[in-house]
Amino acid sequence: MLLLDIKNLTIELKTPDGLIRAVDRVNLSLREGETRGLVGESGSGKSLIAKAIVGVLNKRWLVSADRFNWCGQDLLRLPYDQQRKVIGRDIAMIYQEPSRSLDPTAAILEQLEEAIPDHLLEGPWWKRGYLRRRKAIGLLHKVGVRDHQAVLQSYPYQLSEGVCQKIMIAMAIAKAPKLLIADEPTTALESTTQAQLFRLLASFNQLKGTSVLLISHELESIARYTQSLSVLYCGQLVEAGETASILKQPYHPYTHALIKSVPEFQPNLQPKTPLYALPGSIPVLQHLPIGCRLGPRCPNARKECVKTPTLERLQNHYYSCHFPLTGKKDL
Amino acid sequence: MNTLLEVRELCKTYRKQSGWFSQRSVIALQNISFTLAEGKTLAIVGETGSGKSTLAKLLVGIEKPDSGEILLAGQPVQISHYRQYNHVIRFIFQDAAKSLNPHQKIGQMLDDVLRFSTVLDPQQRKQKIRQTLKQLGLLDEHSEYYPHMFSGGQLQRVALARALILDPKLLILDEALTALDPSLRAQIVNLLLELQQKSGLAYLLITNHLRLVRHIADDLLVLHQGTALDYGNTAHVFAHAEHDYSRKLINSAIT
Repeated sequence: MLLLDIKNLTIELKTPDGLIRAVDRVNLSLREGETRGLVGESGSGKSLIAKAIVGVLNKRWLVSADRFNWCGQDLLRLPYDQQRKVIGRDIAMIYQEPSRSLDPTAAILEQLEEAIPDHLLEGPWWKRGYLRRRKAIGLLHKVGVRDHQAVLQSYPYQLSEGVCQKIMIAMAIAKAPKLLIADEPTTALESTTQAQLFRLLASFNQLKGTSVLLISHELESIARYTQSLSVLYCGQLVEAGETASILKQPYHPYTHALIKSVPEFQPNLQPKTPLYALPGSIPVLQHLPIGCRLGPRCPNARKECVKTPTLERLQNHYYSCHFPLTGKKDL
Repeated sequence: MNTLLEVRELCKTYRKQSGWFSQRSVIALQNISFTLAEGKTLAIVGETGSGKSTLAKLLVGIEKPDSGEILLAGQPVQISHYRQYNHVIRFIFQDAAKSLNPHQKIGQMLDDVLRFSTVLDPQQRKQKIRQTLKQLGLLDEHSEYYPHMFSGGQLQRVALARALILDPKLLILDEALTALDPSLRAQIVNLLLELQQKSGLAYLLITNHLRLVRHIADDLLVLHQGTALDYGNTAHVFAHAEHDYSRKLINSAIT
């Protein structure tokens, strides 16, 4: 069953010079128990999409979509307080930079206890405080923090980035959400902690059936842990499908470049040889090219590319390009 | 092949006041030795607190070592006499956007570098700035730009220009590639490799990104809590790491 089903999500920013379209008609769907990766460079709108799903964008952003279904309910058309209730119950998010997202003035115990909803505590009301504390300790153990006594009494600045990240996860899973959104969970972490964290997310996915939306700019690190993948470029969805099939045969020139620029996916590449890179740089939001936004940087752009390509489908593999790379060409 | 930099048994301890009379000392580096030849790349990996950044600071003379020697082209030197040696060793910081002065035009900033460290007259300085910008694929007009007018990749190029304008022999990159987007990173990596091939620049790469290390580094040094664990040819260390810790680190990046 489709848990999340978004069609033509558009997010626009009101500025004095008119509307800027930061996310342009993006489709995203997520099945129950699926892990999906969302890849794109900075400014491609990945965090915006995540924030739109959780509904925490401020009023300057206009969110519209043809369909924004969560378990069959259209979230955008629900009254505000009901929308908050549904999201608060089912969706949890891990933000970028954990040490900045935690409250610096409160001890970890307080923050963690606050995240545990009442209905998950079974017992008479006079035992609530005790149960809540037990539950908080249990959560910490679940995310792999052994020394709970010291951690619970600390403030965020006293803890390392990795531990802060684990606490964020503990807070997110406290309410047993159906969907866990992780926004760049590994940027601040070292490679050993990174692997630990991904394993942790994978284990929640397998044990509890939690769906995970993993957002990152590093294709190589998330390709390993996701079943399906959506690739964004400058607010446009360029390719979506199963991770393995995208890695094997990308149809869009951008995905192709992304895969080729990572030494890890090129086993035959000799050390110290130049990497494949697209020329130019990412356009700024104020000066987006019309049509396909990759146009000016694309190696096989033609006249037709000034029109925005529609999302084509080939089996379970979606792409939006007028001239998809096919298997015939040498990759 | 000439040895450019040799470091012998470098030690550094930080002392911290912990009571009125008692002191606590933290050993940041212990007996670090390595050599770096011209035109080669040495990568230093390790987690936070392993002493990577301290090592970089010692090499550019921000801090003085407690004991040990730094040899530049065979001569023992006092790097902290930075007027003498900042031509040779240059440093690039993690975040290009934050390490450039937002009030200064790029041209002024590069001019300052030349004014402080060379004896060139204004005409020659202008010529040198133009030449350096061209070398890094930037335009003459860019010297009239302020840092905020550049995109991320261009800023990294500007930071490189500031480092390369004195024609250094060694460039220290402190996590300079980690925060970049993948396509930008590929561009900068290509630029670095090209510069190395053309002018025989040596790099000291301080990073967490082991996959990249494997591609661009000749040698690898694994640091853990101030001590060197594995040191040697990159491919060799990747294949046969001696210590458990380095094996764990390498495995976490590959599998």
